[in-house]
Formats: sequence, structure tokens, C-alpha cells
Amino acid sequence: MLTEKQLLQDLTPEIERTGIRWYLTFLIFFLIFCVGIYALVQQIMKGHIVTGMRDNVVWGLYIVNFIFFMGLSYAGALLSGVLHLFHTGWRKPVIRMAELLTVISLVIGPFFIFFCIGRLDRLPFLIMYPRIQSPITWDVIAISTDLVGCFLYLYLSLIEDFAILRDYSDLQVKPWKKKLYKFLALGYTGNEKEKKILSNARNVMAAMIIAIAIIVYSVLAWIFGVTLQPGWHSTIFGPYFVIAAVFSGTGLLIILMYIYRKVYHLEEYITKRHFVNLGVLLTIIAAFYGYFTFSDYLTKWYGSIKMDSMLIDKLFHDYFSLFIFANYIGILLPCIIIAFPRFRSIRSITIAAVIAVTALWVNRYIIVIPTLETPFLPIQDTRPDWIRYSPTWIEWALTLAGISVYGMLFMLVSKIAPIISISEMKQEDKIEIMK
Amino acid sequence: MKRKLALPLLLLSLFSSGAIDSYSQGNAKINPSVQLQYFKDNEENSILKTTLTYSKNRMELPLKGMKIIFYSGAEKKARLSEITTDDKGAAVYNLNQGSDFLINNNGFWPFAAEFSGNDTVGSGISVILIKDVTLNMILTEKDSIKTIMVNAKKKEKGKEVPVSGETVTLYVPRMFSFLPIGEAKLDESGSASVEFPSSLPGDKEGNITILARFEEHPEFGNVEKKSTLKWGLPSTYAVPAGHRALWTKTAPKWMIYTLSILLSGVWGHYLFAIISLIRIRILAKKHKVEKKELFIK
Repeated sequence: MLTEKQLLQDLTPEIERTGIRWYLTFLIFFLIFCVGIYALVQQIMKGHIVTGMRDNVVWGLYIVNFIFFMGLSYAGALLSGVLHLFHTGWRKPVIRMAELLTVISLVIGPFFIFFCIGRLDRLPFLIMYPRIQSPITWDVIAISTDLVGCFLYLYLSLIEDFAILRDYSDLQVKPWKKKLYKFLALGYTGNEKEKKILSNARNVMAAMIIAIAIIVYSVLAWIFGVTLQPGWHSTIFGPYFVIAAVFSGTGLLIILMYIYRKVYHLEEYITKRHFVNLGVLLTIIAAFYGYFTFSDYLTKWYGSIKMDSMLIDKLFHDYFSLFIFANYIGILLPCIIIAFPRFRSIRSITIAAVIAVTALWVNRYIIVIPTLETPFLPIQDTRPDWIRYSPTWIEWALTLAGISVYGMLFMLVSKIAPIISISEMKQEDKIEIMK
Repeated sequence: MKRKLALPLLLLSLFSSGAIDSYSQGNAKINPSVQLQYFKDNEENSILKTTLTYSKNRMELPLKGMKIIFYSGAEKKARLSEITTDDKGAAVYNLNQGSDFLINNNGFWPFAAEFSGNDTVGSGISVILIKDVTLNMILTEKDSIKTIMVNAKKKEKGKEVPVSGETVTLYVPRMFSFLPIGEAKLDESGSASVEFPSSLPGDKEGNITILARFEEHPEFGNVEKKSTLKWGLPSTYAVPAGHRALWTKTAPKWMIYTLSILLSGVWGHYLFAIISLIRIRILAKKHKVEKKELFIK
């Protein structure tokens, strides 16, 4: 049985000490972030003309990133909620990462919407004059509700750890951190009554965030689905988006596990078993995701509606390599790597996860852009740059800035809260983990 | 080898042509387009309109604040006025301001609009020949058949003669554009008739406007006659009170109910979680007090 002391000795050094490599990585992320700020200033000063978006293709990289990050968030919520509710034995070392994935992705995602809006001064109108009929209003309500729920759920799961850190006298941290733990622990002592209240609240919120994740990501899918645009107007877009989100989220969770395991030397806690279990989950979801993708494109292709045919033709010609990577390589390769036991090493599973996550991002790209490049009405002036979208350095800089802030937040959080839940692990059998 | 050479040559040609192009664009004056048009409206008011534009990235952009000189006559020119173009690059001269215009041997009014250019924009001129035409429209209804009769006469050597063989287009203005309802081909007497369709909606009283036009006619320019009368079907555009749809101000009831139930369900659970946190805090305080009391005892 793992004792609290042993756990604290293993898991708190990352909170107590910060090495030069941490600072260097953070600095690199920060520099990328600064470039992003410069790009943003350029965009605000000169307008959206500095982006590749035009009258015809009005959504570009920003929306792709928005959908991608929101998907990661919902996947994190689904995974953490399901793992918590079903008391999955191996969940304990990875559940905190899934929770962080949920919240941090949810914080980053909406920023891409702000980058995409040409008139930011009109943003308050969404709240001041909402129309319930508008899917954009649904999205605003859904995301804000989800944000509150996910923060609440994360906080509930952190309280016990904050209390443990508050009471750990050997913890070598700055006084402000101690004060922070004291404040955030809410005076939690861990008596039976408190435990019961906290456990009930966590169970309720775990169930809630699963439901919210499905609804909210479906709402996001409906923003596309309720339009009559070729490629978007699909009844399966809601579940298709949800399954795709879980696919990418599982992939990113595996990548996070690999990074934290390596950087914070958590080999004893995050074992091959976790990678294999999540890898198998990734394979199952990949099968579902592949099935949805095939079903969606098959019905469109067979229907032979003029605009759908044009879109599919565009995907198989102009976007051939991206389409094949997103929908064939990105699905089949992770499945092949994980399905055969001989390939199942930690590294190969992580590589499969990287492929899956990248493919999913590309999938988002080929969902958003080619459709907008296939308008129903012929446009008057058919200049290539009005029809074909290609992202500018401004958009790439802001995308990389978003990713770097994402990384920075994961780094910062790991300096405040243990990346593996101490309270969850307390009752865990070390032999059981090492299996 | 050919392939090896092809790429550098292609790049070189691209760069060189681009450089030459940018150099020439940097020094050349803008080549403007001057378009002179003649308009005659329902009240027999005639105008000359000049539009000054230039082409950039295959778009016609207006040149504002440019001085356009209007002339009457072609070979022997009489200056009419100098007018500055507005934001849309248009300069309008009201022909009723002048009295007699020069007439050429064929009985046409030659008009010219000239832009003499400046440091950045080149010069340009546009000339048109116009013959004054009088367009009339008579609307009659007999045995519930509504007929539009148009008649056109032009002046030839001081006499009015009928315009024959030309086409007058008939329109009804709708919300976004003019709906063509027929074309009247003028006979030898300069007249033509077209039956008005009986199924067109008008305003709530059935009022409808009918337009008869010569459009961009090489001899007459743009001439218009219009009349409004109760030939349309009365229409009511009022949205019934309490009507709810995706496009109305108030959302459908089912949507409001669904959203309210969902949101109250979710936020209710959030409230439960927040209350749980408050209870933990209260219990912790209570526990602290009890501990203190125990310590004092």
C-alpha cells in the first residue's frame, strides 16, 4: 500500500523545485507567445486583410483551432468523468491529466474565436442582444456553462490534494504557495462527513460534465450542421464531432502521459499498462470515428447532389494528401500500431497518439475550408485568393502562440498542483500500479 | 537536365516579370475610364452623368474629387459646366440648366465629358450622341384586362415623328430589383401595347408602380416613364401577432422550454456542488472551533 508520505516524497518535488530545463522550455514557449502577440497587434491594426480569410472563405485556421481545442476539452471531460464514475482501477494516475486537459483546452479554445471576429467591439452584443434561435447563442451559453462546470469539477478533485499539501510540513515551497493551499483547501480535514459531501459532489459533477461535454460539442457541430453548406449539412455531425473529439483527446492524454512521465520521472506511477489501456481505447474510438467518416462521405458521394459532388471532387484532388492523411493514415496507422501486441511499446503508442492528434487537426481543416471554397452561388470576381484559402504567417503565429500558451499552462499548473492525484493514489497498491 | 534548368528559369522569369511589372506600376499614371450617360426621367428632366473610374485588381474603383468638364457639341465645342466627382466617382450635370444645345447635321445633340488629368491620373474623354425622345405611357382597363400602351416620338428637323421598330422594356419595382413584365416593340405609329399580368401583388391597397424604359439606347440614352395605380393584388405583410419562428423576434416556445430545462438542470447541479463546497467550509470551521474548545478544556 502506498503511504501518503511516500506519495508526497515522489510527487511533490516537481512543485518544490524548478530546474533550468523547465525555465528554458517556458522561455521558448513565451517567445513564441510574444511573436503571436505581435501578429495579433498587426491583425488589430490592419484588420483581417492580413489573414488568408476573405469574403468567401470567412473561416480559417482560427476556427479550425477553436474546434480542435474545444474537442480536446470535451474529450478530457468525457474521459475523466467516465473514469471517475466507473471506478476504473488504473485510472488514478491519469485522471488528473484528463481533468487538466479539459480545463486548459477550454480556456485556450475560445481565444481563437476572438481572433476570428473582425469587430471585437461587437462581441458584447452576443450577450446584450441574444437570439435563442441562433446556434451562435447556443454556443456562447454552452461554452460558458461548460467552463464553469469543468472548473468546478477540477476544483472538487483538487481540494483533498490541497489539504494534503497544506498539512505537509516538509513541503519546501514559498509562503504564498502555502497560503494558497490553505485558502483553496477550504479547511478540509478529511473526516467522514466531509469526505461524503465531497464524494457526492464529485460524482454529481462527473456525471454532469459527461452530459455537458456531449451536448456542448454537439452544439458546436450543429453550428455547421444546421447550415445548408455542402459537407456540413449532415444529421450525424453531432455524434461525429463527439467521437472525433474523444479520438483526439485520448491521443493527447497519451502524449501528456508520455511527457509528464519522462519529465517528472513518474515511471513508477504511469506504466505501460496505462499506455496500453488508453491505446486500446484509442483504437476502439478510431474504429468508430472511421465508421462515421466513411458513412458521412459515402452518403454524400452516393447522393450525387451537385455541390456535395463538387466538394468530394475537391477533397480528392486539391486536398488529396490532407484527406488521405486525416481519414486513412490517421485512423488506420494508430489502429495497426496498437492492435498488434508486438508493436505495443510506450514509445510506439505515443507515436500513434501523435499521428491521431495531428490527423484530427487536419480533419478539422478539411471540414472547414474546402466547404467554404465550394459556394452555392458563383462569386462575381473569381480571383484565386478569394476562392482558395491559404493561411498567412499571422494565422500560423497565433496558432503557435495558442499552442505555446497551452504548454505554458500545463507547465504552470504542474508547479501548483500534483500532476498525479495524491488523494486518489493513497489507497492504491503499488504492485497493482506496476502491473 | 531540362528539368533542372526549368525551375531556375521559371523562377527567374517570375521574378523579372514581377520586378518589371512593379516598376512600371510604380511610375505609370492611372489610366482612367470615363463613361458619359444621358438620363431622362418621368418629369422630363434630363441629366448628363459622367462616371470616372479606374481598374485595380480587376475591380472598377471610383476616382473622387476629379474635375469633369461637360461640353455640348463634338467638333465645335461649347463648354457647359465643370463639376467635381463625388465619392462614387460620379459628376452630374442637369441639362435643364442650359438652353440651346448644339445640334449636328443628323439632328443629334453631341455631348462630351472630359477629364484633363493630373499628376497621378491620366486624361480621358467620353462622347455621346443623343436624340431627344418623348416617351408616354397610357394605362387602360377594359373588361378587367389591363393594358399598358407606350408611345414614343422624336424630333426630326423641328417636327415630332414616331419612333418605330425600337423596344421599350416594362418593369415593376420589387423589393430588391425591377421585375420585367414585358417588352413593347413600337410599330410605325410609334406605339405598342402589352397586357399587364393580373397576378402581381402590390402594397396593402394594391398600388403598383409600372416603369417603361429605353435602356442604354444608342440614340436616346436612358429614358423613363412611370405611373402608380391600383393594379396589383392587395397584400398584407404583417406577421401575425404571437407568431414564433426561427426568423421572428421571439423564439419558438419548444426552444425556450428545452433550453430552460437544460440550463436549469445543469446549473441546478452546479448549485449543488457549490453548496457542497460551502458545507465543507462550514464543517471545517465548526471542526476548528471544536478543536480549540477541546484544547482550552
